[in-house]
Amino acid sequence: MHDPFDITGHAEATDTLAVLDGAGRTYQAGSVAVEALRPQDLIIRRGDYIAVMGPSGSGKSTLLHVLGCLDRPTAGRYLLEGRDISRLADRELAAVRNLQIGFVFQRFHLLRDESALRNVELPLLYAGIARSERRQRAAEALEAVGLAPRARHEPGRLSGGEQQRVALARALVKRPRLLLADEPTGNLDTVSGARILELIEAQNGHGTAVVMITHDPEVAARAATRLLMRDGRMSRADA
Amino acid sequence: MSSASASFIDICREGLLHLVRRPMRTALMAMTSAIAIAVTVNVISLSFGLQEDIRGDVNMFGTRTVDVGRLPVLVPGAARPSLGPAEERSIRGVLQGLDALIVPRRQAAATVTLAARNGAEAHTERFQVVASQPAYLKTLTVPVQHGRWLNDGDNVVGEQGVASCALDHAAAKRIFGDEDPAQAVGKVFELTLRGQARAMTVVGVLSDPLRYRELFETFDEGKGARTLTSSLLSFRNIYVPERLLAGEEYSGISIVLPTDVAVGQTRDRLMTIWSLDATDPIALMRGGIGVFVRKDWMDALGASASKGTLVGNVVWIIIVLVAIVMISTLNLITIRERYEEVAIRRCEGARRRDVALQITAEGVMTSLVGGLAGLPVGYVGAAILREIVQFPFRFEFKYAIAATGIAILLGFFSSVVPARHAARLQPARVLGRRLN
Repeated sequence: MHDPFDITGHAEATDTLAVLDGAGRTYQAGSVAVEALRPQDLIIRRGDYIAVMGPSGSGKSTLLHVLGCLDRPTAGRYLLEGRDISRLADRELAAVRNLQIGFVFQRFHLLRDESALRNVELPLLYAGIARSERRQRAAEALEAVGLAPRARHEPGRLSGGEQQRVALARALVKRPRLLLADEPTGNLDTVSGARILELIEAQNGHGTAVVMITHDPEVAARAATRLLMRDGRMSRADA
Repeated sequence: MSSASASFIDICREGLLHLVRRPMRTALMAMTSAIAIAVTVNVISLSFGLQEDIRGDVNMFGTRTVDVGRLPVLVPGAARPSLGPAEERSIRGVLQGLDALIVPRRQAAATVTLAARNGAEAHTERFQVVASQPAYLKTLTVPVQHGRWLNDGDNVVGEQGVASCALDHAAAKRIFGDEDPAQAVGKVFELTLRGQARAMTVVGVLSDPLRYRELFETFDEGKGARTLTSSLLSFRNIYVPERLLAGEEYSGISIVLPTDVAVGQTRDRLMTIWSLDATDPIALMRGGIGVFVRKDWMDALGASASKGTLVGNVVWIIIVLVAIVMISTLNLITIRERYEEVAIRRCEGARRRDVALQITAEGVMTSLVGGLAGLPVGYVGAAILREIVQFPFRFEFKYAIAATGIAILLGFFSSVVPARHAARLQPARVLGRRLN
């Protein structure tokens, strides 16, 4: 098992997906600078399965936002497939999110007025894919998570577990290289949570790297690498 | 990396679906737009309609007519300049070669006894009497509506001293009441002219070229005093044969020219007779003789109508600006409710411009629908106002096109701030607030 904080030789390694090279994120709250993510190294390889644990406010979400290109590091570099993300323009960042990164959130974050099918279609729409192909791929993704019969249902008519499966289908329909999951089972019952984890792990088995934030030690235990975050600093949870 | 992005049509469809799924909100914003466009259509149809009608009237008058007349005496005791056959000969002399029709006229105030009607007692009223040759009609360029114009035969003294006359439409209505002026032809009324009462037979009634008589009269009053030309063009006169004021000095001489160039030449040549300086109004007044080119007077009137249009334009622009502010505010409030949706779209690959485009498309579509709904409302409103206030509301297809364009612009500009706000939203902040 590789050391996730050792980024030596990452440029030459063929399985390197993402690298935080001394990357940190500081927020300005009035006159006070808040170091939400302390500058540090992290390497994520293709097919990695990383669980991040830590108390609220420890910087987990900030880490996820930086990895998901929703936020830029204020220190160091973030390299995704060799490209320095911190130097990309907004439209390039949007393209990275659109094509390379899948998101799954604790509260699902689905468009409430749209059907499950249209929710899953969304990233394909912004990828400029034709409508008929969008429909077909979205239907396949819903079928893969076992929700084909519920494709026309709006989120309000779906259970929590079903909504999270729609969110997962939306993340997977774009065939991402990196799947970021923020407490994906946090709002679900045990059975639904287990189903979601199976689907995520199945995708991981196909080579998609997974970074999952969780408070649940049992969920974290299923990951190959477990990290602990505290005060914006990461460490090995099992060290 | 592929830089493919959503198509314009796909983003507009996203906006359309959003509007359809929020019918109440969409209807509210469309209604604001509809009201703005309805009022705009009304104001445009009023101001441009009025201007076009007045220009139409102005062009109908004899704009190639030049009037020479005596001005009111400003200095007490000063002698009035002479204007008679000798001056007419001088005018004919200087205008040789211009193919000008030169018609002198005499004017005098007269009274007519009006019969009791509509609850009002019988009373006398002042009218302007114009005595001239039959050719005078050519200086007016107003068609005869009923009966006929005066001819040489009318200049002969008739049986029992009854004389013929023609009336302006407004004079006929005043003398014989509001009945159809056609009924006035053949009727007799009593005219007191130079202290002598005489019976007058109406042989014809001219049509009224002034659709907006009140407006013309207001314009006159606005200038402080009636000009000689505007007095004539009030079209509320009684036209009598030349013999009724024979022997008196001329009140004016009207000259009809065949071309605009000839009009200019006429003005210049007339100045030489009285040594007038057209650029010095004081000197012009001192001379006691005025030269009025009707086209100048009409241009001044047209300019007044243009000012009215300008005021109308300011009114509808203010209304549209208020609507923009209102819809913008409503849109901004809506955007605050849509933070999560915008953040999700950004997470899934929407660029800032995609978000801005969707919000703008929503605004334009809403405003366009509202504007199209406002058009018939504006049309009906204009029709009702036309009946109530008798104002010249004029609804034309081109105004509908203009209003549609304004609706699109309204939608666009009312979306600028909300679209910018939505596009600048940081998805990490929105989602971060909801995560832990």
